[in-house]
Amino acid sequence: MPPLARFALRRVLRGVVTIWFAVTVTFLMLRLLPGDPALAVANPNMTRETRQALLHQYGLDQSLAVQYGKYLWQLLHGNLGVSFSQSVPVTTALMDRLPWTLLLTLSALVVTIVIGVPLGVLAASRRGFWDRAVQLSGVVGQSLFVPSIGIFLLYLLGLKLRWFPIGGAYTENTYGIAWYGSVLRHLVLPCLSLVLVQLGSYVLTLRSTLIDALGEDYCTLARANGLGERKVLWKHALRNALLPTTTLVGLQLGFVVGGAVLTETIYAYPGIGRGIYEAVTQLDFPVLQGAFVLLSATVIVANLLTDLAYGLLDPRVRTA
Amino acid sequence: MRRRAGLMAGTAAVTVLTGALGACAPSKKAAESGSGGGAELRIATTTDVVNFNPLIGNSRTDYWLTNLMYPHLLTVGNDGSKRPSLATKWGYTNPTTGFYEIRGDMKWSDGTPLTASDVAYTLNAVKKDKPSGTLYGQLANFSSAKAVSPTRVELKLSKPDATVIPEVGFWGNVVPEHVFGKAGSVAKFANNANWVSAGPFRLTKVAKGQSYTLERVTPYPFAPGGRPTVSRIVYKVYPDVNTEILALKNGDVDAIANALPPAQVQPLKKAAGITVEEVPGLGYAHLAYNMDKKPLDNVKVRQALSHAVDYDAIRKVVLQGQAVSTGSSPIMPVLKQFHDPSLQEYTFDPAMARKLLQDAGYTADGSGKFPLSFRMIYSLQDPVTAQWATLVRDDAAKAGITIKPQGLERNTYLAKTDAGDYDIYAGNFAIMDDPATNMTLTYLPKGIINYSHVDASDLSTLVTKAQATTDVNEQKKLVQAAAKLVHDQVYDNVMYTQNLYVAHRSNWTGFVVKPSELLSIVDPQSLANVKSSS
Repeated sequence: MPPLARFALRRVLRGVVTIWFAVTVTFLMLRLLPGDPALAVANPNMTRETRQALLHQYGLDQSLAVQYGKYLWQLLHGNLGVSFSQSVPVTTALMDRLPWTLLLTLSALVVTIVIGVPLGVLAASRRGFWDRAVQLSGVVGQSLFVPSIGIFLLYLLGLKLRWFPIGGAYTENTYGIAWYGSVLRHLVLPCLSLVLVQLGSYVLTLRSTLIDALGEDYCTLARANGLGERKVLWKHALRNALLPTTTLVGLQLGFVVGGAVLTETIYAYPGIGRGIYEAVTQLDFPVLQGAFVLLSATVIVANLLTDLAYGLLDPRVRTA
Repeated sequence: MRRRAGLMAGTAAVTVLTGALGACAPSKKAAESGSGGGAELRIATTTDVVNFNPLIGNSRTDYWLTNLMYPHLLTVGNDGSKRPSLATKWGYTNPTTGFYEIRGDMKWSDGTPLTASDVAYTLNAVKKDKPSGTLYGQLANFSSAKAVSPTRVELKLSKPDATVIPEVGFWGNVVPEHVFGKAGSVAKFANNANWVSAGPFRLTKVAKGQSYTLERVTPYPFAPGGRPTVSRIVYKVYPDVNTEILALKNGDVDAIANALPPAQVQPLKKAAGITVEEVPGLGYAHLAYNMDKKPLDNVKVRQALSHAVDYDAIRKVVLQGQAVSTGSSPIMPVLKQFHDPSLQEYTFDPAMARKLLQDAGYTADGSGKFPLSFRMIYSLQDPVTAQWATLVRDDAAKAGITIKPQGLERNTYLAKTDAGDYDIYAGNFAIMDDPATNMTLTYLPKGIINYSHVDASDLSTLVTKAQATTDVNEQKKLVQAAAKLVHDQVYDNVMYTQNLYVAHRSNWTGFVVKPSELLSIVDPQSLANVKSSS
């Protein structure tokens, strides 16, 4: 088997084991939560008889081992179960929301990279005022908390300046191009919140690795060969400095997903994050399990792709 | 080569995302336009609809939205009295047979007439399938229902129970037999598409986490000329009431139907372009002393605790004067036909509390503290209770009693309440519209919300008799006697009824205000009559 294929297979197997681990931990942790779903979902004035009937309907009157076995069996057949509170398949409940989370997280990721790379290059190549300014902004950005920045942006750009709407993903009863326009307007504030909180780490990581790369022998050699500083920076140093940043993109995806839960809640953005928040309050185990499977699989696949990309970019990794 | 690969990956990502979004994009054809003009009213809510089946749904938004499609037999006046809605007459022909006479001019939106068969089907199906909504809880003594004519339904009871007809009429939604009957068990029917409504509006579009759009249904007999004045209602979901207020000020929504926090009422009253409406409360806040736990089974200890709360301060400071005393009675002044004004609220009197504790055999230590410590649970989801919980602790300390407030996340709070794992329960009931019904739930030994765990034979006798009699005057005497017992023996420490406030943009008029947050300004008859001046 070629080294790259062996490398890919190893990573895929590791990903499958990680997903199983995430599924199991999620299943057990949800059942450690205080309260029972019948109380959370149904009318608190219900009779004991109704409550028992609900627990039976949810399958929660069976032993933990039986519940776990049934859940894994369902999962292997691609069945995420039925929502306790909504009485609809979990897949339906999640798929309504998934596009919005993808739009938000991917937009935030793209904007972060588009802004972060030039800022990192600026800081590494122009030591002095620009470097200090970017470093300071990066540290401030890293210390920001999504709810604080969210409320601030809502107040300033939503209420006071009225540039953007307060919450939601689009304006109701708009169609065609106008609908896409309203989607963009509604996306700006939640996306900006996510970008602001994650930009710092990208910029600071890129800055530091780029400074190291610029001091490497191959850059000195390139300069000695008469290459201009701009070419040395963008063509030689940056390509090598991007390797750790690529890893960071994969690692940060988990934080982006976590940030999306908070962001979607603050901006009433109808993605999976807000769905998780509501499912937690209703102890809707199937929806929570489904959402966590979906999100952990997304993060694991993204990390897998990062690993594979890394393997492609750096041949030493494949044989490690 | 690498650039091309990157470009292709980028293009693929954009295509996937656009495709996914395209699936979410509404088409004009699919969205039904409100026929013949009329404005769109946008209402803010803080929760998604959990369930579109009104026989299962329990959340406030579920109730608001399904009420616009599935009518109630009765509605309620500001004093808790029952008023006609779908039913024009109701009552009992004998102690175990009740009836409703219903309107003959209502239809479902697919043209099928709404008849007494729909009412009978709804009640029988709920009794059989036991869905988890509020209605099933009202059917304990209900046996069966039968449509004896297209406009009259009769209910057979397993034993005399005067609370069934008014409470089933008020709490139960009538659902279409020709739709729900095909779905099998009403306890498992999601009812999440192809809605059929008896008006004034019908759900046509759902964007989970974002909005719910309902279009006008005609004819609707409670609207002017049989036609609701607005063409469309959009419920928009916001994370909390503070964001709702921002959206109202910003013009993103026209109304907030859930109760405003007391501290936000005055600022909103002063805000330009915003009108604040007062909604009479039909519930109460209370402290329930768990009588299964010693020494709370001792009436003197409970009375001492009742004298160790500064109720006035709570109403003035925490509720900003937006609450009234009930006279420490479970029958609030708003229920004019049952309230007993002779019952007086326990005074805040730490000296009296100390004396009562000494009478009960307790001795304070050198610092004035009694060897009494109680754990008081409350829900962190309820910001008003969370605020006064600390005042209760501080007031009790003045009488030498230690109270340890324990704020809990909602599900833990519900679990501890269910298990009776508390000394003092702090909370509130949203709607206590019928004393006889409420007392069976709160003060009978097996009552579902008997948080004091009271088991007193004299109280049980009064409550059981009040539940059974259909003689209104007799029932009044019985529930007043029961309320006096609750007051004197502190089987429940009822603190206040909170009047609620909701807000809307001032260009909207014609809202009909109904009591409680559940009805508020979004009752079907209100939304069928509301108008925009701009």
